[in-house]
Amino acid sequence: MNSQRLPSTIPEYLEHLRRSLAGADPALIHDALYDAEEYLRSELAENPGRSEAEVIAAVASSYGAPEEVADIYRDTETTVQTALRTPPPRERRSVLARFFGVFADPRAYASLFYMLLSLATGVFYFCWVITGFSIGLGLSITIIGIPLLILFFGSVRVLSLVEGRIVEVMLGERMPRRPLYTVRGRSLWQRIGDMFTDPRTWSTLLYFVLMLPLGIVYFTLAVSLLATSVSCIITPLMVWTGMATTNLQINGWHMLHVDNGIASTSLSGWSLPLVLVGGILLLFATMHIARGIGRLHGLLAKHLLVKTAQYA
Amino acid sequence: MASEAHDDTQLRKFQKELSAGTVSLALLAVLGRAGEPMYGYQIAKTLERVGDGVLSGKQSALYPVLRNLEAAGLLDSSVEPSDAGPPRRYYRITAMGRVALRERAAAWRATRDSVDAVLEGTCE
Repeated sequence: MNSQRLPSTIPEYLEHLRRSLAGADPALIHDALYDAEEYLRSELAENPGRSEAEVIAAVASSYGAPEEVADIYRDTETTVQTALRTPPPRERRSVLARFFGVFADPRAYASLFYMLLSLATGVFYFCWVITGFSIGLGLSITIIGIPLLILFFGSVRVLSLVEGRIVEVMLGERMPRRPLYTVRGRSLWQRIGDMFTDPRTWSTLLYFVLMLPLGIVYFTLAVSLLATSVSCIITPLMVWTGMATTNLQINGWHMLHVDNGIASTSLSGWSLPLVLVGGILLLFATMHIARGIGRLHGLLAKHLLVKTAQYA
Repeated sequence: MASEAHDDTQLRKFQKELSAGTVSLALLAVLGRAGEPMYGYQIAKTLERVGDGVLSGKQSALYPVLRNLEAAGLLDSSVEPSDAGPPRRYYRITAMGRVALRERAAAWRATRDSVDAVLEGTCE
């Protein structure tokens, strides 16, 4: 049926599957390999009398040959994934409609929320990585340093999976849902060695360290843009409803000053309509910026947390 | 239509469509009957045994469906180490999953009955 040599060991089967899925989403490849390995190992464990090659040959009819499995995963991904994802907003025609249409895009809100959240997660990741790494490395001259370092590297893998879930839910970038299997049939020490030579371990560490400055920038941008645009919008409204007075300076110029329940602004009345329009434009621009940053950050996360492992 | 004109790929396509619609119901049913969490391979084998090979698409197709059911909140899962290989992901049905199972089973029976009623009297 197929001119290619049929795989006779589990690593060969997985390699074959990986080749058949070449060009697909790395996260999908990751999941497909994980599922196949679970099935193959279970089948092998259920049939202790049979050789690995026999089991693999039998599996081709029940689980599917690598090419068939690849087709099935590609199919499901296109039909089900698109069904589960939030529908993309309809293409709006005019530039103006596209600019204001961002308010109807759930992805923009999710990205904005991610920008606010990233300060907290960024601080946590950074502290975890820096503390764990330096304690482990520092103590590695004593006997407890090495096990600490190994535990730390294991914890980074779990964190990477958690961050992957956050990124997929909020930024819409497909990320792996299963941890990466270590290669079977290697001793504990070899597996520990693999953890240190795996390029993904190091790129994950880099990502977590980067998350602190990025988190600070994202948070600051989100908060200051939101605060500026919202105050530009409510100041004119408060003046027009009689809740605030104009042309008042208290210790310098200010947009909106609230003291003892008395609100005031340094703006003069004629500029209020302009400020309102500017605030509304800035609010929409903020949503666009959030969506753009979300998209870029999704790509960064995918590159540092997933991609390197697939092509290493 | 004469039976010799019957096209094998058309039949296979039809079978594939049938199983695409029903496989999630079958998976919910298997997990709904099981008293304990099951992992992917176990579920596939149970379905193969009980379903008598009727839902015999390739079993690799079950895994993405399991994952999607989990994403929809109908299943719940946890990873546990196993002595015979890599850690396994165990699935169990949620309360929402049981509701969905009841509704889908009713929908399935209604579909089956109406298709049977329409087929009544057609030649074998």
